[in-house]
Amino acid sequence: MAQVQATSYREYRIEEYVVAREPFYVPQSDEIEIFTAAYKQRIPVLLKGPTGVGKTRFVEYMAWRLGQSMGGKGSKANGAKPGIPLVTVACHEDLTASDLVGRYLLDTDGTRWLDGPLTRAVKAGGICYLDEVVEARKDTTVIVHPLTDHRRVLTIDKLGQIIEADPGFLMVISYNPGYQTALKDLKHSTRQRFVALEFSFPRPEVETKIIVHEAGVDEDTAEQLAKLGEKVRNLGDYGLGEGASTRVLIYAGRLMNEGVPARRACQVAVTWGITDDAQLQRSVDEVVTSIFA
Amino acid sequence: MSNEQQAGPTVHTIETELGRFPAPVMDGYKEARVLMQGRLREQELVNWAAQGLAIAGKTVRSWEAAAEFFKSSPAVQRQLSGGQFMRWSTVGADLCQESPSLAVAYFKASPGSLLRLRPRQIDEWAGLGRSLYRGTWKSSTLACRFYELTPNLLETLSFTEMTRFGQFLEVLSLRSYDLASQCLVEGCGLFPRLGTEREAFIGVAHAVAERSWRDVRAFFDGATALGTIDSDQRSRLLVLARRMVASGDVSAGDFVKHGSAAVRGVPVEYSGRLLEMAEAIHAVAPVAVTDFLKHAPTVLGRISFTQFEAWHTEGMGILKEGPEAGLSYFRGVSGRALEVLDTLASGVELSRIKDVVRVYCRALAGEDIELSSTQQLVEKKIGWTDSDIATTEGTTIFLPPVVDRFPSKDDNFAWYKVVSTHQVGHIEFGSFLFRYERPSTMFEDLRPLLLKSKAKDAEVAEPKAQPPRAVRAASPKTVAKSSAGKEPVAEAAAAPAAPVTDMTRFFDLFDDRTLSHDVFTVAEACRLDATVMFEYRGIVNSYRKVQARALQERPTIEELPMREAMVEFIIRLSLNQQADLKVPRDFMPTARKIARLIRRIADPVATVEDVSEATIRIYALLTDVPNNKVPEDEFEDFDPEEEEEEQQEQPEDQEFYLNSMSGEGEGDESQDSEGQEGEEQEEYESPQDVSYRGEFKPELAQLLSQLRLDQDMLDGAEPADITEEQLQELLEKSSEIEQQEGEGEQQQATEEMLKNLLKEMAKREPKDQDSGQGKFIHVDEEGGPLEATEENSFVYDEWDFRANEYKPRWCLVREKEMAEGDNTFYQDTLTNYASLVRDIHRQFELVVPEVYRKIKRLEDGEDHELDLVIEAMVDRRSGNTPSEKLYWKRNKIERDIAVAFLLDMSASTAEAIDESGRDNDDWGAPDDPVEYMVWLRSRRAEGLRRSYKRIVDIEKESIVLLVNALEMLGDTYGIYGFSGYGRENVEFYVIKDLKERYSGAIPRRIDRIAPLHATRMGPAIRHAGQRLMESEAKSKILFMISDGRPQDRGYSREGVEKEYAVHDTKVALTEAKRNGITPFCLTVDKAGHDYLKTMMQDMSYEVLSDIRLLPKRLPHLYKRLTT
Ligand SMILES: Nc1ncnc2c1ncn2[C@@H]1O[C@H](COP(=O)(O)OP(=O)(O)OP(=O)(O)O)[C@@H](O)[C@H]1O
Ligand SMILES: [Mg+2]
Repeated sequence: MAQVQATSYREYRIEEYVVAREPFYVPQSDEIEIFTAAYKQRIPVLLKGPTGVGKTRFVEYMAWRLGQSMGGKGSKANGAKPGIPLVTVACHEDLTASDLVGRYLLDTDGTRWLDGPLTRAVKAGGICYLDEVVEARKDTTVIVHPLTDHRRVLTIDKLGQIIEADPGFLMVISYNPGYQTALKDLKHSTRQRFVALEFSFPRPEVETKIIVHEAGVDEDTAEQLAKLGEKVRNLGDYGLGEGASTRVLIYAGRLMNEGVPARRACQVAVTWGITDDAQLQRSVDEVVTSIFA
Repeated sequence: MSNEQQAGPTVHTIETELGRFPAPVMDGYKEARVLMQGRLREQELVNWAAQGLAIAGKTVRSWEAAAEFFKSSPAVQRQLSGGQFMRWSTVGADLCQESPSLAVAYFKASPGSLLRLRPRQIDEWAGLGRSLYRGTWKSSTLACRFYELTPNLLETLSFTEMTRFGQFLEVLSLRSYDLASQCLVEGCGLFPRLGTEREAFIGVAHAVAERSWRDVRAFFDGATALGTIDSDQRSRLLVLARRMVASGDVSAGDFVKHGSAAVRGVPVEYSGRLLEMAEAIHAVAPVAVTDFLKHAPTVLGRISFTQFEAWHTEGMGILKEGPEAGLSYFRGVSGRALEVLDTLASGVELSRIKDVVRVYCRALAGEDIELSSTQQLVEKKIGWTDSDIATTEGTTIFLPPVVDRFPSKDDNFAWYKVVSTHQVGHIEFGSFLFRYERPSTMFEDLRPLLLKSKAKDAEVAEPKAQPPRAVRAASPKTVAKSSAGKEPVAEAAAAPAAPVTDMTRFFDLFDDRTLSHDVFTVAEACRLDATVMFEYRGIVNSYRKVQARALQERPTIEELPMREAMVEFIIRLSLNQQADLKVPRDFMPTARKIARLIRRIADPVATVEDVSEATIRIYALLTDVPNNKVPEDEFEDFDPEEEEEEQQEQPEDQEFYLNSMSGEGEGDESQDSEGQEGEEQEEYESPQDVSYRGEFKPELAQLLSQLRLDQDMLDGAEPADITEEQLQELLEKSSEIEQQEGEGEQQQATEEMLKNLLKEMAKREPKDQDSGQGKFIHVDEEGGPLEATEENSFVYDEWDFRANEYKPRWCLVREKEMAEGDNTFYQDTLTNYASLVRDIHRQFELVVPEVYRKIKRLEDGEDHELDLVIEAMVDRRSGNTPSEKLYWKRNKIERDIAVAFLLDMSASTAEAIDESGRDNDDWGAPDDPVEYMVWLRSRRAEGLRRSYKRIVDIEKESIVLLVNALEMLGDTYGIYGFSGYGRENVEFYVIKDLKERYSGAIPRRIDRIAPLHATRMGPAIRHAGQRLMESEAKSKILFMISDGRPQDRGYSREGVEKEYAVHDTKVALTEAKRNGITPFCLTVDKAGHDYLKTMMQDMSYEVLSDIRLLPKRLPHLYKRLTT
């Protein structure tokens, strides 16, 4: 990740944003191999799974890791090889094709064309990660399609250009199949342009490791937190939606690190985070108090 | 009577006479005469006029009566025959003789009263009034009032009742006319409110008037409250009041007042109990009853009704000892009363925390777990007798209905939590997963070795005579059981039948099953405690507290015979007793060995198989301990022999275990224990249960889960691998079946249990699904394509996944309109779920604004869109053609949705469900099949007193709620039910067609949704899809609600490949999807995930493992799905 200090910030041009240090990532199964193979073959990848199970982290990690074997584009002269550029776009329902491709801007002496994030990634040969792609407007698929089949081209109407993607370019999208609505779903023609990697909640051992690293708590606490996660996920049917994500467990751990008592930390991070139903909260609380003294 | 009458009986003379009286007489006469003229014959008219004249002439003031007589005559005459009319006038005339005022009142009230009086009651009625008159002015007022109010009284009272009331007034008037008058007036207002208890009320009033008339006032005041309670309660209250009055010394007024208030204060279902309590008090001390009732609402404000009963029982005890103390107890002023109340108030009741704990258990176990009250288990009368002891059979955890062991609510709740955590531990940490063949992780496995020697045993000792060792003798009851009349089966079972469960196989190793079972359960509980405390540190403190409490309840070791003492020693060890642990001195080394074994398995890494190995060893050690009593001084404190080096098990040890298990250890034992010559060995008895651990029955639990497993493979026609003989054997020898007192009862109990289990087995045979819904033409599965010849029938292809092709025209769907019932179900549902209905409405209201979206890029609209204008500017400058679409407007995007709901109406939806929250009137129907059968039977025995809910009812309720909500959204929707029998009979019921508008018929059709036959989903989905395709809507949704996987005769082919059905269903759904329909599947099948995953693939579905969530979830899902 970028080194962001508390008092200063850094600015990157989108395509220069590269993952410079190895992100911490614990694989769930063979996703690293599959992704690597897909990247070599330039097959777009779809990541499926509930919130907070490490999809974003995985992409960051892969961007870095692929950079190690590729030599990296946005090289920096400090010895360590950086990753390949990573452009992330969080999709929302107002996201239009121009938001991705680019638009003209007014400036003092006329107009200036500005590449959108997708165009930049295509040119720079990085990974473009479209998070929650179903949320985007349907017209985005028009752009996504030619980029994700053998053509690998981006059409820019306004400029009357067609850009062939840099060989390093790869499209990655994420998709949470939990409860999309009937009105929003991936079209089959879109879906079949990707290979799908499915993410689920990590096994307790794996989750423990993640928590230890991410929250900086000791192994034992992490184990208890992972156990809590596991138990709460057992209640999926009760309308807890996707259950407690790794992310909230990490939050709880971090709060504990700051001296917040364990039970309280779990309450604010986990219990209240996952449900509004008072009775369910009570039950989850009982699980918390059983696990944490 | 008077001479005038004789003098001139002509009309003329009479009229002249009348003229001498004040004018009203003549006026009355003339007016009436006009009306009467046509109705009476001449002579009758003369007689009538003469009667009036006679009345007028009786006394100075009787002209008033005469005037009144004439006035009311026309109205009265119309209601009476000639003779009766004359009688009426004569009665009036007689009254006038006594008092003209009385007569006035009598005549005045007559027209109104006669509407409700029989003519022959006139005399009696007049008499009632007259009996109140005793010549005084006050009595006259009372009597007049009585006549006056007669019409009012008769509006609610029968004549007999009024007579009683009159008698009461008479009694009372002897004391006080004023009071009687007041009661008379109040009675008029009161009676209409007393329903059928008027007579009882008057009876009590009468008694009060006789015994303590001053109290009548208060009684009438208090009685107003009687009007506010139910008739039944009122009646009982009055009966009690009567008895109270009879016993004297109490105020009936206070009693009815407070009694009514108390009755009103409790839910109706408890009021009967409340009155019983009052009655019980009355039997001992009538004076205390009112105090009890008066105080009851306050007490009930603090504790629940069940606790209140305990509070009452306590008070009864005190009352019996001394009325004074009892009285102050029930007044709530005694220290004892407050103390008891405090304790009770700190008690926690299962019904209040059930939901929280259930979800908690479920989180821990990751499995569907039901919670139920042990009380209900006890009431089932299938062996469990102690409602204070928790237990589980693998899917349901039974907990005591109330816990008040500790003085604080928190501690009592913690007790529940500890118990549940322990019980869940059985499931979470695999108690029931014991496998005979699975090796132990910490011991040398003796099981395989033992099995061999066992087999040898059986060969050698064919008749299986009991070894002549008193010590090892299995409980005589067990012996008696198997020899009692069941000879042939038992014999047959003894030889070939393989043990049904792994647990059975394990217990078969031991000669004394009871002892082995006791050891195993303690050891396993010990392992669980250790594991739980390791895994759940937050609960350790509570756990220790509960353990300490359990220790306090243990019997004294020194008083037990030695072997039992040793078992008790193990229990105490397992409860973590550190000091003062007694063991028989002679067996100190044995105790040490046992303690070491227990310590080893008290470890989170130990497995249930480790426990089984430890059990073998401990059992072997125990067989060396004779079961006789020894003096207390033979016991000494257990001394663990400080930290000797961790002893490895020696080969000799194993030798010893094996020997004593196979009975060869006999030799050394006889030297040892027979030493105490003459000492009688006692029959070994199982230790008292540890209440928080409850009754752990691993063998039965395994049996049940095995049956369940077979049940799950309903279609996978694996022949039942449990035979009747095996079952019988298991039940007969298992030490887990409660021992009944008499031998006969024992046998009866076993047979009953067996019957239930066998029924379960029978249920696994293909069900007879023909429930009288017309005849089915049976077309062989192997037959060819079908034709849709009849009206409203349709044929569809079916996917054969093995052939990888469609079977053309394979299924015949018959569409029928659902018959109509009434709309009570609909109305009741909306009432019962009133708050949810409001909730859903609120949610759905939010949907509506969402469809008003800001639409951009329009050629015309509300205003310019700034971004677009800039874009256009930019385009112009950069030489591009700017777009003309620069406007936005808020537009109502049509919510263009058509949804077809497809309801599973298969027979399995008849399954009852537990309704939590209604704990008191409907205890849960267990999910477990065997339990369920037992439950069903006992319910029938109760004469179906309770109505229970079935899955289909919940489905219906959800549909009701949804319909109600959908009407608000205005989406197009259809509701269809499906079931059927075989491919040629797929029934498709139209409850509401997509094209149909909502009408009163819909609720009536919903009413008739009922479980029918099998579940062939494919064709139903295809047909519903077809229906949807006819709709023009942009979004089409197929929403299926089912209780289980698809199954039908020949659908789950050859019974083996249930995939056939799953695959066809999947293909049907895919077809729908291809047609632009979004399928969604909601199911309540617990095992749903597996096949649904296949069936639904990337389509959305949801499994509700708790059907009670359906009404809440369905509208919610619908909303999510469509916005
Ligand atoms: N396998 C993993 N290895 C390392 N960290 C992980 C892993 N899985 C989850 N995490 C941690 O969980 C956090 C959440 O993960 P991430 O943000 O990647 O989730 P996501 O799947 O992208 O969720 P969303 O769908 O909400 O965007 C990360 O910040 C990281 O700390
Ligand atoms: Mg993410």
